[in-house]
Amino acid sequence: MKRILAIVVLGIVCAMPAAAQSGGAPQQPQRQDEFVPISQLPPQDQLPAAPLLISAYIVVLLALFAYLVSVSRRLGAVQREVERLEGDLKRSGRA
Amino acid sequence: MWGFTWTKLHMPKWFTPAAIVCGLMFAASPLLIANADYEATMGLVQKIFYYHMPSASMFLISGIVCGIASAFYLFGGNPRYDRVAWSAAELAVLFGIITLITGPLWARKAWGTWWLWDVRLTASLMGWMISVAYLLVRRYGGAGSDKLAAGLALFGMANVPFIYISVNYWRTIHPPTSVVPTLPASMGVPLWFCFAAFLLLFIILLTLRLHLEDQRARVDALHLALED
Repeated sequence: MKRILAIVVLGIVCAMPAAAQSGGAPQQPQRQDEFVPISQLPPQDQLPAAPLLISAYIVVLLALFAYLVSVSRRLGAVQREVERLEGDLKRSGRA
Repeated sequence: MWGFTWTKLHMPKWFTPAAIVCGLMFAASPLLIANADYEATMGLVQKIFYYHMPSASMFLISGIVCGIASAFYLFGGNPRYDRVAWSAAELAVLFGIITLITGPLWARKAWGTWWLWDVRLTASLMGWMISVAYLLVRRYGGAGSDKLAAGLALFGMANVPFIYISVNYWRTIHPPTSVVPTLPASMGVPLWFCFAAFLLLFIILLTLRLHLEDQRARVDALHLALED
């Protein structure tokens, strides 16, 4: 019995590569030896517009916001410097 | 986050209402853009136009303001014009980067490529690089950099008409200037609304940035007063 079972298992193991080759498993894509140009992309490959549109508007708003934050921080620093210098000037009695 | 006290800014009276109106216009602009008609060949991606064209216009206006102020500074010597030029150069860099990013995002879908060495695109990139060069000269140029940068700004201004007319005189893939006047109302109204919003924003940012330069000049004057 054990000998029969061993022969069956060995037969299955030997037959597996042949079964895989005959189409049971997905085939690997064929190697491309040349590039063939086409004038238009097929519809399934065409780039969707929405991400580009949304990205453009996000870029605009982020750039403007970042610039506003940058200017306001610089203004804050200068404002504090002016207050400090005016205080020094008052204390020195030259204001 | 903002870092300053609004009430201590001493901005002109019109500044706060203008900033509120500008904010409301930017908030309303997506509604107008969404309701605008689609362009027949480009479809949805063409709606980038409603922010791209106004930001490109502000980029060119900034270059002109910077150039004119620099000319007045070079030949008149009033430091106030130098401060206007510096502020406008920074805005040219800001609106230029917006234009140079939104344009390729549109081109990727409309032309199938991010970038072409087309006359309009190349001239715009050059204009933007001149503005960046202006800021770099001001930042790292040391003594005398103000005059050097002012000369650079004149070249930046000379490039502006070249950018504008390039699409009409050279064979280029970029849409010509005649597209805008021929727009139907369904596309023209959102465009001019966005243009007005960007123009108001430009005036607000220029005023704010100029105020920063004025305050810096005040700091210099206070340092001198303390040293005396």
